[in-house]
Parts: sequence; C-alpha cells; structure tokens
Amino acid sequence: MEGLMESYFTPLVPMDFGYQYRLGAYLERYLDGLRERKILGVRCEGCGDVMVPPRMYCGKCRRKLEEWIEVKDRGELVEFTVGHVIMSKGKLSPSDPYIIGLVRLDGATHPLLARIQGVEVSSLRPGMRLRAHWNEAAENDYFVLDHFGPE
Amino acid sequence: MDEKVAVVGINYAQGDDLGLTRERLCFQTVKGLLVQLGIDRHAIDSFILASNDFLEGRTISNVFEDGPVGAYLKDETKVEMDGINAVVYGALRILEGSYDTVMVVAHSLCGHQVSPYLQVQYSLDPTYDRQLGLLNELSGAALQARSYLRRNGLDEGWLDQAAARELAAGAANEKVTRPLQGMDEGKVGSSPFLYEPLRELHCYPPTDGACAIVLASAGKARELTDKPVWIKGFGSSIDSYYITHRDLTVSSSAAEAARRAYAMAGITDPEVQIGLAEISGLFAHQTPMLIEALGLAPEGEAPRGFAQGSFGREARLPVNPSGGALSAHPVCATGAVRVAEAFRQLRGEAGAVQAGEPRLAVAHGQDGLCMQQNTVLVLGI
Repeated sequence: MEGLMESYFTPLVPMDFGYQYRLGAYLERYLDGLRERKILGVRCEGCGDVMVPPRMYCGKCRRKLEEWIEVKDRGELVEFTVGHVIMSKGKLSPSDPYIIGLVRLDGATHPLLARIQGVEVSSLRPGMRLRAHWNEAAENDYFVLDHFGPE
Repeated sequence: MDEKVAVVGINYAQGDDLGLTRERLCFQTVKGLLVQLGIDRHAIDSFILASNDFLEGRTISNVFEDGPVGAYLKDETKVEMDGINAVVYGALRILEGSYDTVMVVAHSLCGHQVSPYLQVQYSLDPTYDRQLGLLNELSGAALQARSYLRRNGLDEGWLDQAAARELAAGAANEKVTRPLQGMDEGKVGSSPFLYEPLRELHCYPPTDGACAIVLASAGKARELTDKPVWIKGFGSSIDSYYITHRDLTVSSSAAEAARRAYAMAGITDPEVQIGLAEISGLFAHQTPMLIEALGLAPEGEAPRGFAQGSFGREARLPVNPSGGALSAHPVCATGAVRVAEAFRQLRGEAGAVQAGEPRLAVAHGQDGLCMQQNTVLVLGI
C-alpha cells in the first residue's frame, strides 16, 4: 500500500451543464422595469423598509410584500471593494482593478450591489452621490442597468 | 447543562494537500481515534458525517464514506454544513436517549480536489447574484472587512497585524501542516490584493482535512476516558440570506448563537468565566469581530487588543492558540477542529500550543456568505 500512497494522481473530472430556472413574478417585474429605465422595489407595510431588488417577503416582519414603488436611479455609496481578481467556476484569475459598491438608492432602505465606473478609487467615500448609467443595447436584461457613476 | 454528554476523543489532520483519497483520509482519521479509545466500530451507536456533495462532485456522497468510516450496516446520518453542527446533532441524539455513543466525521479536500469557493458561489441566488457576477465569497468578505474597519476606525495595516498574529500561532501548531514560518506583518501586507482591503494572506487557505470526534453519554463517557470534556451548552442562529439586508459591521447571528449557548451553560459573564476560545474566523477581520459577538471582550476593545496580542497564549483568555481557520480551513471540518482544539486544551494535551489550564472553553463554527450562520459550543472539564 505504501507504494500506492506515493502514486495517487488527480484526473480532471469535468461537470459542464446548465440549469434553466424560472425567475418568478417579482424578478420578472423588476427586469421589465429596468427595460423602461425604472428601478422597482417593494415596500413593507410593517416596518416601512423598501427593498431593491424586490423580495416577496420581509424577513423582519414576515409579511408578504405587495406594495410596488419606483425608487430613484440615483443614490449614495454605502461601501465598496476594489477587485483585483475575477472568480469563475471557483477559480481566481488576475484582473485590472474594478469597483463593486453597495449603493443605497434614494427611496430605498437596503442597498443594491452594483459595478461602479468613472470614479477614481482614491475619491470613493461612503455618502458619495452616484447615478445609474443605462445600456438599453445590453443583450441580457440584467445588464440594462449597467453601472453607477458620478451624479 | 450538567454532565450529560461528553466529548471523549478526537483525531484530526489538516494540510495544503494531504496526498490521500477522501476514503483513506476518513478511514485513517476514524481508525486512529478508535485505536486511541481502545474500541472498534461496534462500540459506536450512530455516525454523523459532515461533508458537502458539491465539493465532492457527487450526489449523496456520504454513502461512499460509510465503508471507510465503519458506518456500514449501522445508523448513519449527515449534515451538509460545518462539522460543529454535527457535534450539536450528535449531542442531541444522545440527550434524546436512543444512543450512547456518536462518531462525528467531518472532511473536505479543497486543498487539492476542488476550489473551496464553489460551495458559497453555488449558494448564491442563481437568477440574480450569479447572473450579475459581482458577489462571491471573497467580494462579500471584502465588503464586510471594510465595513468593520470603518466602524472601528482601523486602517488596512490592522488586517496585516490580525492575520500575522493568527498565522504565527498556527506556525507553532504541529497539527497545522501548512508552511507558516516567517509569516509576519510585512509578508502578509505584501501579499497580493484579491478584493480590497483583503489580501491573499488575509484569507483562509484552500485546505485538505478531516476531523473525527466521539461523543458519549455520561455513563459511557466515564468508561471510555478518565478525562471527559463535557458539553455544557450550544446554540445556533442564522442571519438574513441577503448581505444587503444585514448590518455587515457586526455578527448578530453569532451573538444570538452565543446567547443561547451561554444560557444553556449557565454562563452570565463570558468574558470572565470563559478561559479559552477557538473561533472560526475565515478572514482576518472575522476573529476579532466574533470575539465581540461572543461577548469575550468589552465593546470596541477586541480589534486592537487582538492584533496587539492581548488574546495570546499567555493571556487570561487565549483566542485561537491553534492558529485558527486562517492557518487551516478544511471546509466542513473547521468547526469540528475548533472543538478538537478546545478539547486538547481543556485536557492539557495541546503540546507546544497549550495555553494555560483552561476549565471552560468556547468553540465556534460558521457557514455561508459573510458568516451567515453561526454555532457556538461551550465545553468544560
């Protein structure tokens, strides 16, 4: 057995397949909104929180959320990180630095995680005003709201 | 909780690449423990495995472990979580009265087999976060780290100090086989950024590892060992799934888990009563954050105190004399290893990393993005 211990090798066993998930009514309505340059959230009757993207239930109040409201496409930076790697299928590869930030849109309670561009890293501060940049030509609905930049 | 369930034995191995198949690793870990206790597999009533199908790349992966761990034709069950939850599960099984002995076996092979980041990556919402591609275990941890630094008025150099302090402890631990000699602040601070402010050496290393723990009822425990380590209390809690719905500067679920564990253990002043803590901080900011959540330091004192060594091996309350999860993080086994490290400390068997003579210890494990889920166990001798 000891000889075998030294000779363990590691063949690659790939898994390569996709899943086709249905989005559900809330996310579909959110993405429909993006196509019209509208950012939609839902408001909780109990605590008043406004969640973007919309969730069906409030975790705090356990209430179903049914009041849809449009929030502004501008807001303030809450926190950020600068990525120096890209993670794909669990593997890290080097990347030019890029900014990811939590942006609290005017009218919303919870921040939205988004890409931030057109801002020097050294000038990033919580509270900094930002606005959405749209890309109607995006092939994928998720990326119609492309990034946030200076207001 | 009085003397009802005890940890009676532990055995574990962890390293960058242990050079073993998962079957052999699990077999050796369990066999080693059975030999240590002078029993065979028939002395075990119930087996609880902690592993992750996704990381194994096969469904119901535990059935293929039943042979190596000796669970075939016996009662076997599984938690797809950190192994500390398997320890809690085992304690519950014994308290419920149907079993006198439980073998917990936790393992993963992210050192060589597959990326450790996958299990969190594939816990993200497939129709939103995974579509945008912005959120992952590291970018989430980076947002949490920066939130924590900002709240406490700390600079990024503090992360270097905090990480160097854990890695230096790990270097002294013969149970950590990662080469950690000379990992000082300078070396940590010059490792490359992954997501700012987190550098490579602020983050846990991909690790192979397995941990086996035998639990026993009071009567059985005294038959199996002269020095049972009693489980005094345990508690779990889980935060909101979405990090945008949480306050990233604190861990409210770790605080709640600790509150429950302390209530069961009858602990009213953890900072004074607890003599040792083994905490699963996967990123440099998390152990200090958890020291606060677990009530082991007055508010605001943990961050600077931890980085400057006030929870070191000589301290009244040593935290992670093992080197913690920054030194070795075998996903699924890490929380079980914290229990094992606390066990050998309480028994005075921790060798080069022995930290005084603690009588009461706390062990902590976590799961999920930005430590969404936390479990706390109180152990005493």
